[in-house]
Order: sequence, then C-alpha cells, then structure tokens
Amino acid sequence: MLKIQGLKASIDGQPILNGIDLEIGRGEVHAIMGPNGSGKSTLSNVIAGREDYEIESGSLEFEGTDLMELAPEERAHLGLFLSFQYPVEIPGVSVTNFVKTAINQHRKAKGLEPMEAKDMLRLMREKMELLGMDKGFLSRSLNEGFSGGEKKRNEIFQMALLEPKLAILDETDSGLDIDALRIVAEGVNALRSPERSILVITHYQRLLEYIQPDFIHVLHKGRIVKSGDKGLALELEKRGYDWLKEKEAEV
Amino acid sequence: MSMDSLKDRLQSSFIVFENELKEETRSPLHSIRRQAMKRFEAQGFPSVKLEDWKYTNLKPIVKGDYTVFADREQGLEFSEIKRFFLNELDTYKIVFVDGRYSSWLSSTTHQNYDICTFSAGLRRHRSVIDAYFSKAAWGERSLVALNTAFAREGAFVRIPAGKVVEKPIEVMHISTGSIGDSMNQPRGLIVLEEGAEATLIERHQNLGNARVLTNSVTEVFAGAGSHFHYLKIQNDSPTTALIDHTSIVQERDSRVDVGTFVFGGRFVRNELEFKLEGPGANAGMIGLSLVDADQFVDHHTGVDHVAPHCQSDELYKGVYDGKSQGVFNGRIMVRPGAQKTNAFQQNHNVLLGEKATVDTKPQLEIFADDVKCSHGCTIGQLDEDALFYLRSRGIPAHEAQALLLYAFGEEIIAKVPLPELRQRLSRLMARKLNVDFELSL
Amino acid sequence: MEVLEHITRNEYAYGFTTDVESDKVPPGLNEDVIRLISAKKNEPQWMLDWRLEAYRIWQEMTEPEWANVHYEKPHFQEISYYSAPKPKKTLGSLDEVDPELLKTFEKLGISLDEQKRLTGVAMDVVVDSVSIKTTFQAKLKEMGILFCPMSEAVRDHPDLVRKYLGTVVPRTDNFYAALNSAVFTDGSFCYIPKGVRCPMELSTYFRINEAGTGQFERTLIVAEEGSYVSYLEGCTAPMRDENQLHAAVVELIALDGAEIKYSTVQNWYPGDAQGKGGVFNFVTKRGLCERNAKISWTQVETGSAVTWKYPSCILKGENSVGEFYSVAVTNHHQQADTGTKMIHLGRNTKSTIISKGICAGKSNGSYRGLVKMGPRAQNARNFSQCDSLLMGDACGSHTFPYIEIENRTARVEHEATTSKIGEDQLFYCNQRGIPTEDAIALIVNGYCKEVLNQLPMEFAVEAQKLLALSLEGSVG
Repeated sequence: MLKIQGLKASIDGQPILNGIDLEIGRGEVHAIMGPNGSGKSTLSNVIAGREDYEIESGSLEFEGTDLMELAPEERAHLGLFLSFQYPVEIPGVSVTNFVKTAINQHRKAKGLEPMEAKDMLRLMREKMELLGMDKGFLSRSLNEGFSGGEKKRNEIFQMALLEPKLAILDETDSGLDIDALRIVAEGVNALRSPERSILVITHYQRLLEYIQPDFIHVLHKGRIVKSGDKGLALELEKRGYDWLKEKEAEV
Repeated sequence: MSMDSLKDRLQSSFIVFENELKEETRSPLHSIRRQAMKRFEAQGFPSVKLEDWKYTNLKPIVKGDYTVFADREQGLEFSEIKRFFLNELDTYKIVFVDGRYSSWLSSTTHQNYDICTFSAGLRRHRSVIDAYFSKAAWGERSLVALNTAFAREGAFVRIPAGKVVEKPIEVMHISTGSIGDSMNQPRGLIVLEEGAEATLIERHQNLGNARVLTNSVTEVFAGAGSHFHYLKIQNDSPTTALIDHTSIVQERDSRVDVGTFVFGGRFVRNELEFKLEGPGANAGMIGLSLVDADQFVDHHTGVDHVAPHCQSDELYKGVYDGKSQGVFNGRIMVRPGAQKTNAFQQNHNVLLGEKATVDTKPQLEIFADDVKCSHGCTIGQLDEDALFYLRSRGIPAHEAQALLLYAFGEEIIAKVPLPELRQRLSRLMARKLNVDFELSL
Repeated sequence: MEVLEHITRNEYAYGFTTDVESDKVPPGLNEDVIRLISAKKNEPQWMLDWRLEAYRIWQEMTEPEWANVHYEKPHFQEISYYSAPKPKKTLGSLDEVDPELLKTFEKLGISLDEQKRLTGVAMDVVVDSVSIKTTFQAKLKEMGILFCPMSEAVRDHPDLVRKYLGTVVPRTDNFYAALNSAVFTDGSFCYIPKGVRCPMELSTYFRINEAGTGQFERTLIVAEEGSYVSYLEGCTAPMRDENQLHAAVVELIALDGAEIKYSTVQNWYPGDAQGKGGVFNFVTKRGLCERNAKISWTQVETGSAVTWKYPSCILKGENSVGEFYSVAVTNHHQQADTGTKMIHLGRNTKSTIISKGICAGKSNGSYRGLVKMGPRAQNARNFSQCDSLLMGDACGSHTFPYIEIENRTARVEHEATTSKIGEDQLFYCNQRGIPTEDAIALIVNGYCKEVLNQLPMEFAVEAQKLLALSLEGSVG
C-alpha cells in the first residue's frame, strides 16, 4: 500500500531523514518508535505532504501512485489520513461544518454528489457513539479550548468518518491520561480492518499495549535502524533508547 | 505673554546665539541648526489641531515669561542636590545647572569611552557628532526643530565597540530658579558602537518655585548587538513643564530598553520613538505614571519596524487621582517587508479622581502579513473584591487602596535592572501613595 | 500565490446595467437643481427650505481629509443629482413595474412579488434616486407600522418627519451629511408605534443603475417606546469605469425601551483589479438611544472603491446599549476606513464593538473608532475587540481606536490583534482533503462568525457567499 524508498528530507538545510525504506501492506499495522528528534514527526508530515520540508531524494508511493507531486488534499483524497500530534485550533469553525466540508470534498474528488444533511448527521452520530462523545461537541469550534483527550478523540472521530486506507497516528498517546488513551485506542481498534493499514508513531511502548502492531521499526537519526515484531517494543521498554547510542559508538 | 511672543523671543535669541557662536556658524552642524530654526519659524508651537497634539494643549505652558539663556553659572553645593542621586552606587555624573554644565558637580570620563557633555564632544569628536547629530530626531516636529536650532549642551555618551560601561551614568538637569522663569533645551547624543553596553538614568529637577519649561531632545544610536538601558525619572516640582523627545535607531540584534516614571511635574509630554533598522533588533518600553491634583501626563510612543525579525514590547500603566489628565498614544508601524515582526503593546489605567480623565489611542499600522501584533488597553478601577478582602482583614479603605495601587505599579518597577534604582522608585511610589514603604515591602 | 491571484481576479457578479429609460436631471448642483428635486417629489415648502439651508451650510464647508484613504475628490458639478427609472408614476401593483427592472432584481436574487418573497421580509427597493416598490405595506399598516419611501413620508407623514429629521445627524454635522441634506432623493422611512414588535424584517435594496449619477439616500427609523424593529439594507451597483458617489445619511431614534437592529450587506461595485472605477461610499449613520433603549449595528462590507463610515450610537438614556458588529473586506485597490463611535452620556450605559477586518491584494483597511465616556456616564462599560487578518504582503491594515474617558467609574477594555491565516491551519484542512481555497473560506467564515451570527438568517447566507466570493483562498 505505502512504499517508501531511500527517502531523504531536510528543513532549512538541516538533514532530518537520511534514507528511509519502509513498506506497509494492506491491513497491516506498523509502529515506528524512536527517541525525540529521531525524525518521527517529519516522516509523517512528509508522507502527508507538508511543504516546509525539502525532499532531497527517494520515492514515496501509495498504491502505486507517486505521492511526491501531489498536494496534501490530493493525498487525502487517495485515502491517506494523518492524526496530528498537535491538532490546530480554528476559531469560529464548528466541528460539524468542518467535517461536512471535508467529507464533501472527498466525495467531490470521487465524483460523488454532496452528502444529504440528514445522512451526514446520522453518520456523525453513529461515529460519535463509537467514541463515546458528547453531542454538544459537534457545535464547538474546531479544537478550540479542547482538552488533550478531546483533541485526539476528535482526530479519531474524523478518521472514522473519512474511512482512510492508511491512517498515520502521530504521537496519538502524547498528553493523554490512561483513561483517555484507552478510549482513543478502542476507537482505533474498532476501525481496524483487513482493508485498512495503520502506521502508529510513538515514543512510548504504552500505546502499543492497546493497539497491537504487526511490525515495529526503530527510527534513529533519520534512519530505520532496527525492525522486528511486537517483541521489539518490550525490549525497547526495558532497555530504553540508550543502546542506540552504544550501537552508534560501535559503528 | 502669548504663544507668539515666546516664539518671537526665541527668534531674537537665535540671533544672539549665532553671535555668540562666531566661527562656529560656518560649521555643517550650524547649517542644520539654521534649517531647523526655519522649520520652527514656519510651524510655530504645535496646536491641538494637529493629530499628535489632539489631547495636549501647549498654549498655557508656552504662555510664560521665560528666560531663554542663563547668563551666568549658578553656584551649588553637592549637598543641596545629593538626595537626587543614587548615592548607594558609584556612578558617572553629568550635571547641568540652569542649562550650563557644572564640572564641579560632575564626574565624567574620556578613558575607554566618552561620558561627557555635548560641548566636550564637539571639541574632541566632531566627526562623531557630524555623523549622528539630527539623524534620528528629524521629521516634522516643530519642537524637535526648536531644540535642534539651539542645540549646544547636554549629555554626550560614546561607547566604542565591545566596551561595557560598568557604572551607571546619571544625567541631572537642575534648575535653581534664581534666574526667574526659565526655558531649557538640553540636547543629548548617545552612540553605542557594536556590542557596547551602558545604562543611563536621567532626571530633571527644579529646586525653587520658579516656572521651568524644558524642551529636551535625545538621540540614541544602538549599533549591532549593543545593549542600552535608559531610565527616566520624572518627579519634578509642580511648577515645571517637561517636553521630552527621544529618538532611537537600532541596528541588527541590538536591544534598547526605556523606562519612564512620572510622579511629579505640572505638565509632562514624553515622545519616545524607535526605529528598528536591523533584523533581530529588540525594543522594550515600560512606563508608570502616578499623578494627582492638576497634573498632566502625555506619553506618545512610536515603534517603526523597518527590518524583519524584530520585536517590540510595550507596557505602560497609569494611575490618575484628583483632576489629573492622562494621555497615551502608542503607535506601532510595520513597514512593507518587515516580516516576522512581533509587536505587543499594553496600556492599563486606573482612574481614581472624580475629575480625572484619560484619553488613549493605541494604534497599529501594518503593511506586512507575516506578523504578530497586538495591543490591549483598559481603563477602570481597582478590583472591588480585592479591596473588600483587605478591608475585611482590618486594613482601612485608604491603605487598602494604596496597597493595591502599589502592587499595580510594582509590576512595572520590577522590570528595572538596578536593584538600587528599583528601591528608589518603590520609595517614590510609596511616598506618592502615602503608604508605609516598609509595610508595602 | 497562484491561489491568491486567482481569487483576487474574481469578477464582480453584480456588475450588469439595466436597460431602462430614465428621467435624469443634467449634471451640476445649484439652488435650482434642489428646487427641481423638491418639485419632482411634490414636497411641501418646509422641506425645500430645509434643503436650501443645508445647501448653504454645505457651501461653507470643506471636504474632510482625516480618514486614512486616498482618492481623487468627486467633481460635484459633474454629478447628476436626480435619476428615476421611467415611467415615473405611482406603482400600485407589480404589473406596473418595468419588466427590465424586474429582471434586474431576479438577477440579484430578489423577488418583488409578495407571493414569492420569504414571508418574513418586507422590502423597499430604491433604484438610483427613487423607490420603485415597497412590499407588504398594507399588512404592516394594520399594526400601525409605517414603512415607505422617504419621499412618500415627507408628503403623508410630515409631522413625524419634521419632528425627527436631522435631529441625530444635523445638517451641520459634516461635509457629506450637509450635501445629503440638500439633495437627498429617496431612502426608507420606518415608524414603529409604542409597544409594537415589528413582525417581519424591514429591508431596503439600493441599486445605482444610471451612469454619472450619485445616490444620496436618506433613511429615518423611529422606534417608539418599547417597540422593536429589525431593518436590513443591501447595496449593489453596475461596473462602470468612473467613480460613482454614494453619500447616505441614516438616522435611528430608539425611544425609551425600544430596540433597533440595523444590518447592512454592502456590496457596491469595488472597481476593477487595477483600481479603476467603483463607488465612493461616504456615509453618516448614527442612532440615538433614550432610556433602556438598544441600537445594534451589524455590517458586512465587501464593496466600494473607497469607504468611510462609522455607524455610531449616542447612548443618552440610562441603561441604554449600543452594539457594533462589523466585517470589512478589502481586496485589489479598495480602501476602507470604517468603525464606530460609542458616545456614553447616560448612567449604566453599555457598548460592545466587534470589528473584523480582512485585507487582501493591494488594499488598505482601517478601523477607526471612538469610545467616549462623559462625566455623567456613571458605571458605563465598553468592550472592544478589533482583529485584522492580512492576506498577502501588499496590503495594509490599520487600527486607530480613540478612547476618551471622563468618568472614574467607567470601565473600558480594548483589544486588537493582527495576524494571517496560519500555515498550520491550512495544512490541517488540506490533510482532511479540503483544498486551500475552500479552507480559506472556511477559516475566514469562522473568523467572522461572531459578526455573521448577528445577521438575520436570510442575510447571513448572502453575506457568507459574498465573503467566499471576494476572498475564498488568499494565502499563497
């Protein structure tokens, strides 16, 4: 589904990704772990098409389509979803209005008519129930004054509505207490399907207890230095990231 | 005596002044003076019809029989003026009495850097003065032009590249009143070269009951990476009027902080203008006015963001009792191309007196899109709940009010760099509020 | 940047002219022209005298220059001060309106047919100098509500007009108010009797059609004790290469306990992308509040080449309330200097100012406001929020709030910010599949929401469309 080869990216002349190779198959759940500053968020932003980064070399393919030349919204229309580490606030724009616009733009890209208002509402209600969300939530301004937990839940809510083929969860666990984390993770798990791939990006092993990955990759200094199954997460939890430095010293 | 007659007197004084200057009249500096005099003659004193003087009526101030030049030096003992200095600290001192330099009372230097008078600067560093004089304080202002026309004496500070002045510099303008009502026009020039650092404290003090009108202009040039602290204590007697204009030009990564503290004086007009010409320059302004009776205080500030990546921060507070009047006009200008500008301005006022008034106009003029600019302004009273809380603990109303006002002012004073000066300012504030200083600590 | 260019090239959608014959007075202004206007309207002598006095006052005045706008001053002798679509006769039913004009209003999305209209809106339509149709008049009359063209009010309700005309905006007020007083042609008159709550929105649609004419309408709204009315106005004009002058005066009088809500969606022709043509919109709007009264101004301003207007409230009576909600959009070479004046005279008076400026292209937008609290305004309160959003680096946004406080119990809070649409916000929307243009429309609408929420439903939709049209997508 997603195929990354030799991806190098920098910002303001500072190299951040130094040759990433990663392949994610249909229905697979991958996790990328790594210490702060290893390039985790850069990777998710580059996949989603953020323009602040300079792509030096490498390729980025999604279901055989080259993503490099596509605008962020075009990538989204293909079925790529990024759950942001820090979802932005947009004052005055209600969740309903925002979600309605997003869904109809997806439909427009597929050549479909805008969704009927009553269908839209029914769909939103259904997904809100899934995530145990309050009705009042829909009329609030997007992310404005939301708690950390509400912001992340809102991201998963949108993911549920947009039904992406690949969802990237960027540090979805950061800033969440254990209860909020469980609710968010349950939401994600409910969206798991053989058709949907998920890439979980996280610093801690904690989230992976709830969202069990098929594969784990360790990112360090812009490179994947180790890959394995979920056992790797436990090893990291025990040993921390210091061994990476030792390994580096050995080299 | 009308406004025009002071203007007439100044015009004839200019002729006397030129006669005194002799050969000096052929210098490039003097041609600037002449041009400035022409400008003042054409414009005269500013009237309330000008937007910048909308709330500030100069008419009653310039209606006075002022002596424009002191004809002789007045003898003063240091003990008579000691209380106005920061005696806890070793400082450089530049002291003027009735507009004339007093070497007796001063403590200047030419070692490593120059901390002296404008006239000494002219003798020793003519090229520096030619390079900087009237380059910052220019434009349409007729009172700046008037000062420029008569520019002869004031503080001159020149700090060469990389030098740090360890001791604060105190600049004191004393009026004795022994020559009757008088008008002073000090002219300051401060040049900090690359990476230089200095702190300067400025005060005007009238010792008698005569009327004193001061029209002061100071120009500051802050070279790349330099750091200048400029503190103005305005606590003069009730028969004085001060018009103080300061223009500051800042180069790359320089930092200039100006604090203006007004407790005394009948009429005070401060004009403080920054021009941020180099990227990364940082301008800070703080101000506190604590006035009562028929005092009038006007703060006009302007920050001109010319270069990108600059920052300006401004916080002014005022407390107005009796029938005092406050004016605040803060202008932030962001020029085309001055992207990534951060400009913040706050102005908070408390009205205590039944007849006290405040006119405030915080303005933003923005011509670049990638900027963060904001201003906030409040006018109100002390927090009723806080007052009640203090009173319920047995603190009488007047003391409770004074304590809250003290806290209101302390936020500004806490930003002053020298502990000795902070204490001095806190003491002045406590005295003005009639609270026990020790208690308020 | 491409997006910005695309958007800023957006065409003015209301720029057509209507081909109807008109009765037009030759250009120029003198006492004879004023007499002619007065005669054409069958005015009583007192009205003519009032106009002539205004003309004399105007001649003594000079054009103001303090606003932050630059333009070539109108040539007052080249303007025609009266233009009426022919045939000029009293219109009893819709059949008598020129079919060409009916088509005009269909293009504008306005139906003059009472059957087809939304039942909640009564409409007066003013083309150039005259009112061509007022709907629902009969129904309103049953409740004692008068809603008619100003010229009709002068003839049929002279006592009311004489009592209130010029009491809030005197002829001596300013240059353009004096000019308007001398030559005003039509506009709406509303009178709401004591205790009556007007059951529908009263609305006037203004349209300048003829070339070389100015529009000088005059609106007067009187709300008697305890009454309520919501009034809306909309404005459009054809695209013309020369500048057209629109100098209106609006006076509101809210007597004890009355409430007037006045909404404007102003979309006069703004000129082309090079700054050629467009309407000069110099308007004086002011309301007077007696005890416990409330006046609320809401405006969405997207049109005109040059605008200066400051809908104001004189809060004379105790406990009276003034509100000002404004969205002002400038693009291309447009210039707007707009804001409000809240004059607090009475005790416990309150005012709120919410101003949202949006500047794009090479335009300049200024907020200019005055909050004044007089010595007797015990416990008066004001809150002001003035925000500006900049799109592109060639525009300018300016804020000039004047705050004058003469009472120690008054409280004023003023805040202002200037910013641009965040890259983060755009990327977030893009990631959810929303293209940049739509994202900007969404964000701008959100930014203006506090103001748009104040508009009656029918206008809110129109205003949102207008915003999207004049701005959708503007960050490159």
